[in-house]
Amino acid sequence: MAATVELIAAPWNLGLRPPAPGREPGTWRAPQALLSAGLEARLRPDRVVELDRPPYAFDAQPATRIRNGVTLREQTLRLGEAVQAALAASRFAVVLGGDCSIVLGCLLGARRDGRCGLVHLDGHSDFRHPGNYDAGSSLGSAAGMDLALATGRGELLLTHWPTVGRPLVADEDVIQIGDREDGEAPPLTRFTAQEIQQLGVADLGERVISRLEQRGLDRVWLHLDLDVLDEHVLPAVDSPGRPGLDFPQLAELVATLVGTGRVVGLDLAIYDPERDPDGVYAAPIVDCLAAALTPLATVEAHA
Amino acid sequence: MKTLLADGPSALYATEMEQFGRLAGHWATTITYYPADGSPARRVSGEWEFGYALEGRAVLDVWQWPGREELPVTGRSPDQECGLCVRIWDPRLHLWRFTFHGTAHGDQVHMYARQIDDEIVMERAAGGDLVRWTFADITAGTFHWRNERSTDGGRTWRLDQEVDARRLR
Repeated sequence: MAATVELIAAPWNLGLRPPAPGREPGTWRAPQALLSAGLEARLRPDRVVELDRPPYAFDAQPATRIRNGVTLREQTLRLGEAVQAALAASRFAVVLGGDCSIVLGCLLGARRDGRCGLVHLDGHSDFRHPGNYDAGSSLGSAAGMDLALATGRGELLLTHWPTVGRPLVADEDVIQIGDREDGEAPPLTRFTAQEIQQLGVADLGERVISRLEQRGLDRVWLHLDLDVLDEHVLPAVDSPGRPGLDFPQLAELVATLVGTGRVVGLDLAIYDPERDPDGVYAAPIVDCLAAALTPLATVEAHA
Repeated sequence: MKTLLADGPSALYATEMEQFGRLAGHWATTITYYPADGSPARRVSGEWEFGYALEGRAVLDVWQWPGREELPVTGRSPDQECGLCVRIWDPRLHLWRFTFHGTAHGDQVHMYARQIDDEIVMERAAGGDLVRWTFADITAGTFHWRNERSTDGGRTWRLDQEVDARRLR
């Protein structure tokens, strides 16, 4: 029996800094933009769950140096319940963000049924934590910290979770793909954007699968920050850059990973419709995701 | 103010309330401060009283130093502390929300707390540092509390203050 899809809309922007004083980031609009561009018709989900849009705070919240930290914890717990319910119903969860902080709720939901690895596709490492930057100088943005938080680095508020504890995922169970930044490399298995250019996507996919097999990871969550795409094909993100993948390469890589039957769900983050005033990028994102999830129609769900 | 205190935990979150609620009672404390400048440790006596409040949805405590045996006959001086801590279990966050209200120096502290293994860990971000207050080695008659600060994101911690507590009743 083929795996069926559950779409979960997580319309938030809590993990991003304001793009201008007094102005909220626009990623919260992405789920609706993608649904309006035909995503539901293309994926034909069994169920669509729409979480509420949380309020965005411009000022610091008490006892945390993470922007919207308290609200993020509450939303993470809610998203975790939604993902857990989808997986419990044997559905493939597709979470539409939102910014990269949604990966915490996704992992929380996936981890409640046991060990779950993380394949983190992102043009940045998202590995900021108080041990590698001056948290006192400005409020931190969780969308630049999500991998650090997921691996248990940072404030208790966003690193200790009910049932699961800390961390959401062990360093050894993470594969980071697509980082294009210079600087200190996180202590994780990683394939940088520059390495991917040399390897090619087919070879990259084989290496990732080999690593999953080596670690015995039967369950994996796939985080898909769309800024892993080259800014020439998708500039409508918070921090565009290059080099990066193009849409066919991204679809091929995701399809390869989903085709293993090990991926239990994915989240799609950081598309910002407010940076896409003509609405030209929602359709290729939908095309890409629909192509990437084609294997779900044919593969058995991995035990 | 008869509605402030409660005899026991609310049935709503009885398991969580017990985490701090088991400290209900009156404790004699020995408080040791470890100055960051390397000067010798300083020790004072104190008292710490815990109890349920707000229909059993909160655990309050009153933190005092010095203890009654060292209290001046003229009473507590203005710079000697008698502060109030309020702990409320927040089911939306699965965390305790904590505030301390000091009367001696006007201190106000917000923290979040959670039981981790057999300790209760409270934490706040203070500028670029993390500050943790941890209740450990809790038995019916004793517990240990420590106040630590990390300047490297939690990799290492410096002990600023600790408390040894012995139950009086």
